[in-house]
Amino acid sequence: MHHGLHYGLLVMGAPYSSPAPHSALRFAHAIIARGHKIAGVFFYHDGVHNGASLMAPPQDELNLHEAWRELNQQHAIPLDICIAAALRRGLMSESEAQRHGQPAFNVAPPFELTGLGQLLDLQQRADRFITFA
Amino acid sequence: MMLHILTKTPDSSASIEMQQAVGEQDSVLLIEEAVSAALDPAWAVWEQHQSRIFLLSEDLIARGLASIAVDNELPMLDMDGFVALTEQYAKIVTWY
Amino acid sequence: MATPDALLVVIRHAPHSSNWLREGLDAALVAAAFGQPVHLLFMGQGIMALLKEQGSGAPGQKATLPIIDMLEMYDIDALWVSEEALQGLRIRQDLLVDGITPVPAQEIPMLFQQHAKILNF
Repeated sequence: MHHGLHYGLLVMGAPYSSPAPHSALRFAHAIIARGHKIAGVFFYHDGVHNGASLMAPPQDELNLHEAWRELNQQHAIPLDICIAAALRRGLMSESEAQRHGQPAFNVAPPFELTGLGQLLDLQQRADRFITFA
Repeated sequence: MMLHILTKTPDSSASIEMQQAVGEQDSVLLIEEAVSAALDPAWAVWEQHQSRIFLLSEDLIARGLASIAVDNELPMLDMDGFVALTEQYAKIVTWY
Repeated sequence: MATPDALLVVIRHAPHSSNWLREGLDAALVAAAFGQPVHLLFMGQGIMALLKEQGSGAPGQKATLPIIDMLEMYDIDALWVSEEALQGLRIRQDLLVDGITPVPAQEIPMLFQQHAKILNF
């Protein structure tokens, strides 16, 4: 009777500083295993660091950035990052780096920089909305 | 009716604020640091929300607290059970 | 008080301790700008955001009080404060900005029940 719910996830903890991203990933896989869908993942506050493509943890540790990318590749789940929270913390896409005259960028698809409106829209659309922070 | 998820220890400000917000019909799930509540079966929240409060088993196991939770007869859920619990509650708030 | 489509934004963190307060208020402002009715509930250390004598502090410290003063312009006029938390912090209401509504402890769970959408900062 509860099949096919649409979940929205808000992640506000940084990888390797907070257990929140890892909890969120494990939960995401469990959602899908139970036959539900994930309408999107939104990264806000320190959660924006999950989008850092230059993340290079030791080989015996889970690469959380890669784990999110794989989730997107396997299940086409949008990975949206709050642009204001990201820029403040030194995370930029290629186009933002050009706009700000920066020599490098560290956010790339499937991660997308977007506004907070996307978070509110996700909360409106989702049957279940869960925060990991 | 809603589900509260606590991620911080029982003596944290997040925990105190959550206790101010929990209603009579609500359930509570303890994850991450919050599973250390297994060590204290006298914690007021166990009594107040009996039969509607759960611990996430993999976070207990990771912290070496699973057998203590069993000894104290505290209810555990695995990740699949966590998702099942969220199916029952349209509204979910996380305290961190 | 009961507007089921309203968003409840809960603020639990003090100014100048983390970015939770600023980013929580940003979410409230954006929701209001998109036409969503927004209510704010201040709990615990979040009440520190409402102290009316907050100054500019050391150079480079960005104040959040101007955002609090802006809320009314965004039609955010419900500013609820946990009465229990006020007493716990020994803050008298006359130390806070105008327009605050203290909420007794037994009514806090009701606020959570009455809102379908909640963001907890």
